[in-house]
Amino acid sequence: MPFEYIKMDKEALKFIDTIEEISGSNVYLCYDCGKCSSGCAFVYKMDLTVNQVISYIKTGQKEKVLSANSPWVCSSCLTCTVRCPREVDIAAVMEAVREYTLRNEPERLKRIELTDEMKKNLPNIALVGSYRKKSEL
Amino acid sequence: MKYSYFPGCNLKTNSVGFEETAIAVSKKLNAELVEMPEWNCCGTIHTQTTDNLMKRIAPVRNLARAAEHVKNLENSSKEVIHKQVVTLCSMCNSTLKIVNAEVKEDTDKLEPINWQLEYDNLEYKGDMEVKHFLEILRDDIGYETIMESVEKPLKGMRIASYYGCMLLHPEIAKIDDQEAPTVMESIVQALGAEVIDWPFFKFCCGSYHIVGEEDLVNIQVHTLIDAAKKRNANSIIVACPLCRYNLEHEQIELIKNGKMKNSLPIFYFTQLMALALGIKPMKLYHFEEHLVNPKPFLKELGLIGRKKSK
Ligand code: SF4
Ligand code: SF4
Repeated sequence: MPFEYIKMDKEALKFIDTIEEISGSNVYLCYDCGKCSSGCAFVYKMDLTVNQVISYIKTGQKEKVLSANSPWVCSSCLTCTVRCPREVDIAAVMEAVREYTLRNEPERLKRIELTDEMKKNLPNIALVGSYRKKSEL
Repeated sequence: MKYSYFPGCNLKTNSVGFEETAIAVSKKLNAELVEMPEWNCCGTIHTQTTDNLMKRIAPVRNLARAAEHVKNLENSSKEVIHKQVVTLCSMCNSTLKIVNAEVKEDTDKLEPINWQLEYDNLEYKGDMEVKHFLEILRDDIGYETIMESVEKPLKGMRIASYYGCMLLHPEIAKIDDQEAPTVMESIVQALGAEVIDWPFFKFCCGSYHIVGEEDLVNIQVHTLIDAAKKRNANSIIVACPLCRYNLEHEQIELIKNGKMKNSLPIFYFTQLMALALGIKPMKLYHFEEHLVNPKPFLKELGLIGRKKSK
């Protein structure tokens, strides 16, 4: 695929606006240097790299962004955010994509069965964290 | 000197050793951590959404309560108490610091949250500072004092300091330089142990992915432990109950699956401080909470228990 035609219609613009509103970050600042992806500890598991997610948001490619596993693999470690030379709050953008999905399709909320061992030993932060990040509450 | 101290949930459930050794250390160093009489969950793993104030009520409520606690402490102890609340868990530290900065900067956020706090007769005035105990150790107590208080140097321990993400991220919550922190290493040195320099000090352990996506955490921990071993570390220190859990739990899994031969013991930095400062009794350390039992390691180095007389 040498090139692709991108349609920047109303829906696309609305998507960009919403992501920017939820995250409070301006994605247009990004100049695609790739530093966020190169420092991400989980990028090897992502089907879109971190800067690709930002790039696709910038160009309003909603479907591609929403079908990527990247925001769900992200662990909110904030390494990308503190390293971005353009001060894009990338981790917040990842969170915004998660929130966008869960606000519009709450059925994507993941249900996780806990074993007895997990209930006994798992730190509270792990439980609260995982339901906060993967569910809308 | 006394400090208002916010424990957070984990320190009351499965990281009791972290808290009890920290309090003992703080007393010994004349910087006593006094627990807030009332507190709630810090609102852990700070929300990065900008349009949801609900998720910020819990931390602000804690800050308001801490401010009251400081006042009461001042009245009862007749000494000046810093307008600070001290945390141990790195996740609480980061959450409280972020929200504190947010509401200090933006009173439009603070006001509606304060309306919610009216039910508790509380109001947060944006006048508190959040500190991690590591910052108190570095800035108020000083490494010199720690060094002078050491009774039993941790000879034989080669320690890799693992900061994890939340002690250094984001910018407003960092306790040290984000890419080259030194506070944990300096403490390790003060305690007479060997400092292991390694590049993985903030390589994410996988965090909350332990719930439901354990394989992600497993790979992270494998990388981390291998890196520590390669640099000849024989133990790791942490400041986060979740880091500790992940590092221990996944080491056990890795050994079970034949991917690793032996495990490294994981300690809270306060446990090792207590050990070096000669703090007893042993039950304060709650080593039974650790999934990788650190006792045989400490015994071998002669740091706990009496050596068998021949
Ligand atoms: S680090 Fe910042 S500027 Fe560079 S690609 Fe990532 S978001 Fe864009
Ligand atoms: S916050 Fe998420 S995207 Fe950013 S470096 Fe960490 S895991 Fe990767």
